[in-house]
This record gives sequence, structure tokens and C-alpha cells, in this order.
Amino acid sequence: MKVLVLTEQKLMEFLASARTAYDVRVPVSLHDGTRVIGRLGEGPLAIKGGAINQKITSIFFPHMETVLKCSNGGFESPEPAPKPMLVVGFTKQDADCLEFIDRFYNDKFRDDVYFNKRDNAVIVCVSGRCGANGKLLKVSGDNCDMELICDGQDYIVRAYTDVGKSLIEDIGSTEIVPEETLEQIEKESDQLCVEGLDLLNAASKLLLEDKVPDEFWQSISDRCIACTSCNLACPTCTCFDVFDRTNGCGIDRWRIWDSCQLDGFMREASGHNPMGQELIRTRRRIHHKLAADVTRWGHITCYQCGRCDNVCPTGIGIMSVCKEMVEKYG
Amino acid sequence: MVSKGLSTSLPQPQKPLYEPFSCEVTAIKELTHTEKLFRLNRLDGLPFSHKPGQFVQVSIPGSGEAPISVSSSTTRGDYLELAVRKVGSLTAVMHQLNVGSKIGLRGPFGSSFDTKSMKNHDLLLISGGCGLAPMRSLIQFVEDRRDDFGRSTIFYGAKSPEDVMYKTELEDWANGDAFTCRVTVDNVSGGTCWDGQTGLITNLVEAADIDVGKTIAVIVGPPVMYKHVIVKLKDKGVSDDQIIVSLERYMKCGSGKCGHCTIEHLYCCIDGPVFRYDKIKELKGAL
Amino acid sequence: MKRTLTTCPYCGTGCMFYLLVDDKDTLVGIEPSSEHVTAKGQLCVKGWNAHHFVNHPDRLTTPLIRKNGILEEVGWDEALDLVVSKLKQAQSAGGKDSAMFVSSAKTTNEENYLMMKLARAVFKTNNIDHCARLCHSSTVIGLMETLGSGAMTNSIDCMEKADCIFVTGPNTTEQHPLIGTRIIENVTKNGAKLIVADNRKIRLARLADIHVRWKNGTDVPFLNSIMNVIIAEGLEDNEFISKRTENYEELKIVVADYPPEKAAEICGITAQEIVDVARMFAAAKRAMIVYSMGITQHTHGVDNVKCCANLAMLTGNVGSPGTGVNPLRGQNNVQGACDMGALPNVFSGYQKVTDPDVRKKFEKAWRVRNLPGEIVHTVTTAINAAAEGSLKAMYIMGENPMMSDPDQNHVREALEKLDFLVVQDIFPTITSDYADVILPATTYAEKDGTFTSTERRVQRVSKAIEPINQSRPDWQILCDIAALAGYEGMKYDSVSDIMDEIASVTPIYGGISYERIDMIGLQWPCPDRNHPGTKILHVDKFSRGLGKFSPARYRPSVEMPDEEYPFVLSTGRSYFHFHSGTMTRRSQLLDREQRFPYVEISPQDAAEHAIAPGSWMYVATRRGEVKVKANVTDVAKKGVLFMPFHYKEGPANLLTINALDPVANIPEYKVCAAKIRKAQ
Ligand SMILES: Cc1cc2nc3c(=O)[nH]c(=O)nc-3n(C[C@H](O)[C@H](O)[C@H](O)COP(=O)(O)OP(=O)(O)OC[C@H]3O[C@@H](n4cnc5c(N)ncnc54)[C@H](O)[C@@H]3O)c2cc1C
Ligand code: SF4
Ligand code: SF4
Ligand code: SF4
Ligand code: FES
Repeated sequence: MKVLVLTEQKLMEFLASARTAYDVRVPVSLHDGTRVIGRLGEGPLAIKGGAINQKITSIFFPHMETVLKCSNGGFESPEPAPKPMLVVGFTKQDADCLEFIDRFYNDKFRDDVYFNKRDNAVIVCVSGRCGANGKLLKVSGDNCDMELICDGQDYIVRAYTDVGKSLIEDIGSTEIVPEETLEQIEKESDQLCVEGLDLLNAASKLLLEDKVPDEFWQSISDRCIACTSCNLACPTCTCFDVFDRTNGCGIDRWRIWDSCQLDGFMREASGHNPMGQELIRTRRRIHHKLAADVTRWGHITCYQCGRCDNVCPTGIGIMSVCKEMVEKYG
Repeated sequence: MVSKGLSTSLPQPQKPLYEPFSCEVTAIKELTHTEKLFRLNRLDGLPFSHKPGQFVQVSIPGSGEAPISVSSSTTRGDYLELAVRKVGSLTAVMHQLNVGSKIGLRGPFGSSFDTKSMKNHDLLLISGGCGLAPMRSLIQFVEDRRDDFGRSTIFYGAKSPEDVMYKTELEDWANGDAFTCRVTVDNVSGGTCWDGQTGLITNLVEAADIDVGKTIAVIVGPPVMYKHVIVKLKDKGVSDDQIIVSLERYMKCGSGKCGHCTIEHLYCCIDGPVFRYDKIKELKGAL
Repeated sequence: MKRTLTTCPYCGTGCMFYLLVDDKDTLVGIEPSSEHVTAKGQLCVKGWNAHHFVNHPDRLTTPLIRKNGILEEVGWDEALDLVVSKLKQAQSAGGKDSAMFVSSAKTTNEENYLMMKLARAVFKTNNIDHCARLCHSSTVIGLMETLGSGAMTNSIDCMEKADCIFVTGPNTTEQHPLIGTRIIENVTKNGAKLIVADNRKIRLARLADIHVRWKNGTDVPFLNSIMNVIIAEGLEDNEFISKRTENYEELKIVVADYPPEKAAEICGITAQEIVDVARMFAAAKRAMIVYSMGITQHTHGVDNVKCCANLAMLTGNVGSPGTGVNPLRGQNNVQGACDMGALPNVFSGYQKVTDPDVRKKFEKAWRVRNLPGEIVHTVTTAINAAAEGSLKAMYIMGENPMMSDPDQNHVREALEKLDFLVVQDIFPTITSDYADVILPATTYAEKDGTFTSTERRVQRVSKAIEPINQSRPDWQILCDIAALAGYEGMKYDSVSDIMDEIASVTPIYGGISYERIDMIGLQWPCPDRNHPGTKILHVDKFSRGLGKFSPARYRPSVEMPDEEYPFVLSTGRSYFHFHSGTMTRRSQLLDREQRFPYVEISPQDAAEHAIAPGSWMYVATRRGEVKVKANVTDVAKKGVLFMPFHYKEGPANLLTINALDPVANIPEYKVCAAKIRKAQ
């Protein structure tokens, strides 16, 4: 069996050609070197380097977006974009996050504003030897349409869904190389440590068994400055606030990322606030993903993407907290 | 025993999710100095098809949305009544509306009082303050299907005589045959005339004569009320699964997306607002 | 979607982030910069919401002129003509110094430079000042005298290198959040010692090794007593003192009068606390002092600052990593506004206006004659002069003195008395309610320029969207006014040209250019094009040569609590709002967090007055009374109230006292006497 391999140059050409049918988004490096998912040409291609710091699901659930337009007493909902998106740059963990929030936004009520962008979008994962500092990124498997597995330089392309497969066909003739490298990467990928997951599972168990006392949450919340970064970076955090704003010709209703780390998040008109204490909010941040969602969805909803630990300015992202928790109470 | 599967039916998803439909205000009544009752009709002629205990998202462009309980029962015809307390920006704008004004609405949303499993039970309908608004939809429903239910008692508590909402209706319920109805107020300030009871609503519950085996208690009121009333009910031998509560949370979407209304793993807007007490009593921050 | 790298418009930490703009030129989000030295991909809640107010419908969109008491929309030409003619009229009637120019720490360096140039070169007055008067004027003076440079001596990353951090008078986790978090990380990860001397139980106090809750306003005896112990126990750094400093004997004499027992009594703490602080601070290899408005906003603000500098020099903690005297500058560009000479006594780069050679240099550079050499007004004395009637006209750019100056009724009286008031702002404010002309300016998102962060880092502000409606960047407005007033020397093709001019006349900015600061900025002093910038000041030599010990003696605050007004009222900011709230209160999430004016009150005091948490209450001083919500919290010490000044419906500065430090003219925002009562 042979596999398809693309050089970065060839990949660029492929992505450029995909633009006729797709709104193509790829990791690019911005002015000061910050990597984000952007449009082709917004900056130099920056596929290598590991997970993007930005909340990866912001592609479909952006910081702020209109959910409704009101003018002359009438209402108008946003329309799907003319072209579906093709997004490169998800890690395996990112794709898992996306898979979960797809289910979340589709549950009971379908969030059409989200699916306007998400429907028909093509997800391309990046894995292999292109993580930060040369680390290996876990091979995604079939949690996406297509995957680019980096051998350190070039990308081995694999398609999982029909769309992915037809896209590969479009690429046409390219170098074909033996698949030993791929086998080797996959083997290494399988061996990538599962410590993180074990830790989360242990923490989850402690929480479900209610073995973590309030003192613990207080000591963590003493260090939380309510910057909201953890929520705003997390790909499975979905909370938003809604507000109206007049523009020249009418009123737009917007939604904007919100954070359960804010006191006002649940404060009601009466002043009653079920989450009116720091320690309750800190607990919520962890408990939600590791216990509440286990009860609701049957699994934890943190996929160890690492963003909250990166972005928390005081070092109390989910992994650090779980580590402390399991050391103390496990 | 109350049967399982209380309050699970969800409305058909409307599409698009955040787009309200237009309604016209057909009547407005002043209930108290801070509360007004609005009667609404749908402009597109479709039925509201709400159930007692559900809520709608009232939408006023420029002021946003607010969740408001439906205060009327479909058994009275296909209109919707909302009792609204003026507390902030949107509710203040609502209080400026006139008959003929148009507003947007989404919903109805949320779980309802499971009137099926209440059938043939004695009902103890306990509400405080604004809580009478959603309770009234159940009261109307029970009144209109009187034979389906056992002995039904209404207890209502307000801060002061001026705060008592639905005054004439409370009198009607008290005087009619359908219900036993008692009203109490916390305080009577000097100069107000009040010939009813004073004291906390817990006193009414304490004094109630109930057939424990047959009773379902429904509680809707301000957060402080629940704990105290539930203690009294349990003193009387009412079990957790015979108690139904309706909870209020900050809500933005009404459809399980925005995350503002969560109680541990539950979403008050889609799993609630009506909950059976035994299902939530262990959850931190529920009450 | 377009992304533009720019600098946060809120605090002096100076995080950079990307502004996200949609196809309709609307700001729709923020993306942290993962490469920025300070932000490191992180932001505080204000940064995350810094895009929100820009497209708010309340923005000022056209110039307005008050005609028969009513504001009418006019064209730019008409408005600017009126501004120039009225300012000239005021000056010809009452003299050059009867007009006051108020610059802004919110605007860019270039704009501050131009405002000061406008005042000096065109209108020939040194009546130019800005709100640093109200926050760190005592720092500029106190540190200039002792160390020779009125800025933070070290860099933000030094917070992670100190072995002991002595925090007095800032609430860093709320006011300079990402600096606060560096302190937290150093304490929790590296086990650095943390001393918090603050009346309020701020977040850092929870993590502190020692938290001292002295009486507000007793900083001088407290700090003197620490030095007394250090000297008594022989913990001072003699080598540093002898090699690098002067006037040590004087210090010894003064602090000898403050033995711990005596100071403890004045400060309302125990002598042991003072001894513990002294030992912990002196024992550390690298000890750093971090201070802010709790030190500066007193009638003895300059004294407080000098004492901080004395303590650092006494222990040899100046000029090396993880040490220093570090005033945290509150606003995004208050450092820059000072650097640019938006102060009555100095040109840009702290070059004294009283020095004839300096004046000559600027006359030559600006091609003007007779630059004024007399210093007349500061912001605070100008308000007093307006109230007395000697000041006739005022041009306020991006400030809101009705909210931010002490004693609001006094400010109102002053503004009403003015013959002519121009307010240039992005939103209507209660100050603009008194304006004769209102000029709509653009926000940071609609213009180019630079801000200088608290660590002296000059960084780029980049235009993300076109100016909204008819609003214009402040620098363009200033240039037009100069031209209308007949001055040819203020014409620039771009802001980069303005920076080049700044660099040419300002030695500490000599090596700064847009090209060089494109991505990460440069820390001044940066004297020439090859200079890498300066992370730490006073390394081998103090800016003034030798560090000068400048001891101070205790002077009590002006208005102390008494029987009628038994509480101490202190004022400041909260985490979610910024200053007079014009921006943050128009940002959805920030506004939601703190929607109502409030006062922090201790549980004991609240209970004694039967005030329930969250209920309304009144706070009154001799100046007036304000209705606020009770925030009952153990952050507040018994007997002390704290009120933020963000709310125009509950203005803290209606209550504060117009008492000034004799040297710096900074008002005593941190201490006045108050009483409280329950509402209804
Ligand atoms: C299920 C449910 C049923 C309700 N039924 C009724 C009813 O029948 N009659 C009635 O008068 N009120 C009812 N409420 C309360 C009502 O939703 C709030 O009073 C209303 O949202 C306040 O909106 P506002 O714009 O006037 O206030 P705002 O000016 O927005 O805010 C005033 C205060 O209300 C808080 N607030 C804002 N939005 C909400 C929100 N969506 N939910 C809770 N607090 C909020 C704010 O934090 C603020 O402190 C119900 C609430 C819920 C959750
Ligand atoms: S690691 Fe943090 S950011 Fe990533 S999914 Fe888990 S909780 Fe969210
Ligand atoms: S990122 Fe850290 S400090 Fe910020 S809100 Fe989350 S836990 Fe708190
Ligand atoms: S710490 Fe200061 S500069 Fe940084 S994001 Fe917050 S307010 Fe802006
Ligand atoms: S109201 Fe949005 S999730 Fe319940």
C-alpha cells in the first residue's frame, strides 16, 4: 500500500485550489508570530508548531457574532455563508472537542447560528512530527474529514470521510512514498502517554464521589483573578451572553463569549446568585467538565487540549488543579 | 407515588432558534404597583400551545430578551398572559407598552407541571411573590379540569398587602368551590387596610390539613422560600417525590445553549424550570 | 475578518492583542498575542472586552457647539475656528496663563506631545497637565529627587525574579491584573516571600506571608520604622550605601525617631509586625517594592514615595533584577503622557522648562520664539483658579474631571465659571455637559500611535478600523488647531513623523522609531538608534549620579475621622471598571459585573448600622452625600470604607476632599472622614 505525500508547497497549491469551493482557513503566523487560524495569505503558513493557542472552535463559535437582526418590527436570522469552510489545523484533541460541541449545539434545540458555519465544513487535522518543540502530535484517526500527518517535513495525507476522499482525488497525481514512516509515526502516537487522561479520570472520580471539600476550592480560587481566559480559550466552553445594539438602520442582537468565572454570570434580577462565591465558581469550572457532564453526557468533556493551562496567568488550569486535587485527596 | 417521567416533553424545535415571532398586546392590567399583566396574541395565527409552568422569552429589540413564565392556561383559549414585574431595563420597557403594541416572543420553553401524573391527587399549590404568575397557569388549568383532581388548596404569600398580585382572582378562588385558598402577608405597614392573615407562608403550610398519601405539593416562589416550606412539608410526612418546585435562573437562550441557567448537570431552561424535588435536592446550589 | 496587533487601552501593564474586525468594519473580538513579552497569550477580563465599547451607539460622532444653551451639530471647520478664536480671546483678556490645556493618559504619546507643543509653542503657556497629577505626580517628584528618574526602576518580568515582594498600595490583581498574576506565580511556584501592607484584604493579602493592615495615611511612620529596625539590627547594605548613595546620616537621624513601639501606635498595628516586615524584607537577596496609589494619593504622597526609595536604597535593592522601586502606572499611557511633558514643569523627557538652555533647544526645534519659563497651574490648581475666576478657558482632551477630580461640586462650580470649555472625547461625559464645544475623537482602535507601559516600554497602537462617523484622531485635531492658530510647525504626514520629532528632542526616546518598535516595543531610556533599550534603571549609577536619601517625617492626613464623621473613606478603582466608566460601562460583560455604585464596608460596621448586604445606603462627608449599594466584605477593615469612582450616579468624588500635597499637588483621595446611614 502506498500513501499520498504533499510537500508544504504542494499543500499550499492544493489549499489555494480548494478556494473555489471552500472558504479555506489555515494556521498562519501573524505580525508578531502569533499563530492563529486565518485566511490563506493572511500571513505565512504556520501549520507546524502544535495546537493553536486560540480557542479552536471559535471558527464556528466566534467571540462575538450577530444572532438576529431587527428592523421595522421584523426579525431576520443570519444566513449560512455562501461557501462552506475548509479548516486546517485541528489536533486530535481539538477534533474531539469539536465533535463534542457539535453534539452539544445539536442537542434538543439545534443552534442554527452555529450550524450555519459548521454544516458542510471540512475539518483537516494536523498530526505527526510537527508539534511545539518537535514534539509528536497524536494521530487523529477518523475524528475528522482529512488528516495531514507530518513526517517532520512533508505531510502524509489521509482521508476518512467521503468529502475528504473526494478532496484527495482532486489533488491528482502526487509523489507516492512507502508507508513505513507512517507506520512508525502511528506506533509512536499510540504510545503517547495517557497520564493526562488517567489524571482527569482520577479527578473525575473524586468529584463524582464528592470527596473534594470546599477548602480545596477556596485555596484554588484565592489564586484566580477572574480573567476569564480559561473559558475563553477552551474549545468545549460554549457559554455566551446576549445583548442588543443599535446600528445605523436597525438593531442587532449579538452573542458574546461569557465566563462562569464571573460573579454576574448567574446573578438574577433579585440579586440572588447561585454562583455568588468564588469557590463555587472555581469548582464549577472543573466540576462541570469532569463530573456534571459525565452525568449528562456519559463522559468527561475536557479533551486535554492544554489551552487553559497555557492561558491561565496564575497556573491553575484544569491539569494543574487536578494534579493538586489528586495528590491531596486521591 | 408520583409516576416517573415528570415534565419531560419539549416543544418542537423552532427554526431559526433565535428568531422570535411577533405578538400583539391585546390587554394590559395593573396587578400591583410593580407588576402588570399582559395578554398577547400571535400575529401569525399559530397556536401558542404552552403547558402550565412553561416560560417564554420576551424579546424587545434594543432591550434584549427576558424569560417570563406563562401565567395563563390554554384551557382558557389561545392567548397568552404574562405577569411582569418591573425590575430592570427590559421589564421597564414592557411596562411602557400599550394595547396594540407589538413584541417578539420565543418559546414556549422548558418543562411543565405534569398535570397527567397529578391526576386524582390532592394538590397543595404554594406560591410566594412573583411565583403566583406561573402558578396561576396551573390553577386555571385545574379549575378548568376540576374533576380530574382531588382536593386543591392554594397558599399564597406576599411581602405586604400592596404586593399581593391577582387580588380579585385570589378572592374568587377563595370564595368559589374549586379551591381552598389562603393568602398571607409578611408585614402590614401602618395605614394599610388588610383583613387577611399576616405571617410567613410557612405558617399556612404548618396549619394545613392534608392527606399525606394523596397529596402533591407544588412550590413556586423566591429562593428563600423553598427551604423553609419544604421543611414544613416534610414535617407533615410529604415525601420528596411528592414535591414539585419551579426554579428561576438567569437565562439568556432558553434552549440549553448559553449556560447561564445550569444546576450542576441540569439546565434549568430545558430540564426545568419545573423539577421534582427528589431529582434536584442533592445538587449543589439548586435551592 | 481582519486582525490588527495593538496595545490594550486599559491599564499600564501594556498587554498587546489582536483586534478582530468583521467585513462591516465592526470590532468583533480579541485575540491575545502569544508572543508578546507581557501578555504571553494571556489577558485580563478588561483586555478580553477591550473591543466592546468602540462601536457603541453612544459614541460622539460630530462636532457640537453650544448655541443658546443647546448643543448643535456643526462641521469641523466651524467648531475648530471657534475653539481657536475663543482660546485666543481668553488669553488676550486674561493673559497667556488664563487658559489651561489638559492632556490625557488615554491618548497616545504623539498626541500628548502635540498637546504640550500646542500649549507651549502656539499658546505660549506652561498650563499643560493631565491626570498623572491625580495618580503619580508624587512618584515623578519623589523618585526624581531620590533616584533621578520618576519611573518604575525595573521591568515586569522582575516580578518573577524577586525573592521578596513588598506590595503597598496597589491592588495589583485588579488594577494591573497580569502584573498581579506574575506576583502570584512567583509566590506560589517559587515560594517568594510576599509582604502586603494594605488596609484592605486584597487578593494578594490572602497569599501573603505578612499582611499589615495599618491605618490609612500612616505610611511614613510605618516605612520609617521599618528602616529604624533595619538600621538598629544592622541589616542595612553598607556597601551599597557608601558607594552609591548620599545623605545617609540625615536618614539615620530622622528614622531614629520612629522606633517600632512608637510607630506601631500611630499606625494602629503591633511593633512585632513592623519588626517582622523589616527582617523579612532585609533578609531577602532580591527584594522589590511595588507601590501605587495607596502611597501616592495623599497630602504626604511625595513623602511616602521618598520613604519607599529610601528603604530600597538602604537595603541595596536598586539596579538589579528582581529589586527596585516599582510604581505601577494606572493608565495605559500615563507613563507616556508624563514622558511627553504633558506636565507644567517639563518638556518631553523631563527637560525642565525653567532651564533657559532647554527652552532654547525647543525654540530652535519648533521654530518659535519666547517659550514660557514660568510654571503656573497644575490640573488641580487650575480647577481652583477657575472656581476663583482667574482661569478663563480650558481645553480638555480625553479626561473627565467631573468624575475624577476631588470634590465634584467644586469642580462643577469651576467648570460653570469658565468663559470657554472645549471637551474632546469619545463619549459624552458629565464633564462635556459643561462644554461650549465638544470635539468627537476616535478610540485607540481607529488610530495609529504609541503607548508607553508602566515598564517604560514604548509600544505600537495600530489602526484597526476607520474613524467612526465624523470622529477624528486627537492628533489630527490638534494639528488643525495649531494651523488655524497660525502655527506652521505642526504638520505631519503620519504619526511616525511625530515620533521622529519626539526622538529628536527627547534624549530618553532618542532611539525610538516606528520601525524599531514594530513588534515588541522598546524600554526607555533608549538614547540612540542602536541602543537596545533599558530593562532596569540605575544599574551602575543612579540617573542623578548618587542616590539621595530623602527622609520625611510624619504628617497626619488633612481630614481625620471624628465623632461626627467616624469613618475613613478611601477611594479607588474596581476590577471591572476603569476610571469614570465611560468605556467599561459600555461593555456588556464588564457593565454586568458591577452595574451599581457601591461601597465596601466591613461586616461589623454593616451589622452595627443594620445594613444588609446588597442593600442601598448613604455615605456622606462634609462635601456631600451619595447613595450606593453595600458591598459587605471582610476586604474592608472595620472603620474604613472603600468606594470606586466609576459611577456618575454615585460619584465617589462628590465626597473626596480637595486637599493637595504641597509639592506634587496630588489630591488626598485615600483619606477623608465619612459617615454612613441605611437607605430608608
Ligand atoms: C423561568 C423564569 C421565569 C420567570 N418568570 C417571570 C415572570 O413571570 N414575571 C416576571 O416579572 N419575571 C419573571 N422572571 C424574571 C425575569 O426574567 C427578570 O426579572 C428579567 O429578566 C429582568 O430583565 P430586565 O431586562 O428588566 O432587567 P435587567 O435590566 O436586564 O437586569 C436587572 C437585573 O436582572 C438581572 N437579569 C438580567 N437578565 C436576566 C435574566 N434573563 N434572568 C434573570 N435575571 C436577569 C441582571 O443581572 C440585573 O441584575 C422569570 C425568570 C425565569 C428564569
Ligand atoms: S484542557 Fe482546558 S481548555 Fe482544553 S478542553 Fe480541557 S478544560 Fe478545555
Ligand atoms: S484563567 Fe486562571 S485566573 Fe483566569 S479565570 Fe481562569 S482560573 Fe481564573
Ligand atoms: S492587564 Fe492591563 S493591559 Fe493587560 S489586558 Fe488587563 S487591562 Fe489590558
Ligand atoms: S437559558 Fe441558556 S442554557 Fe438555559
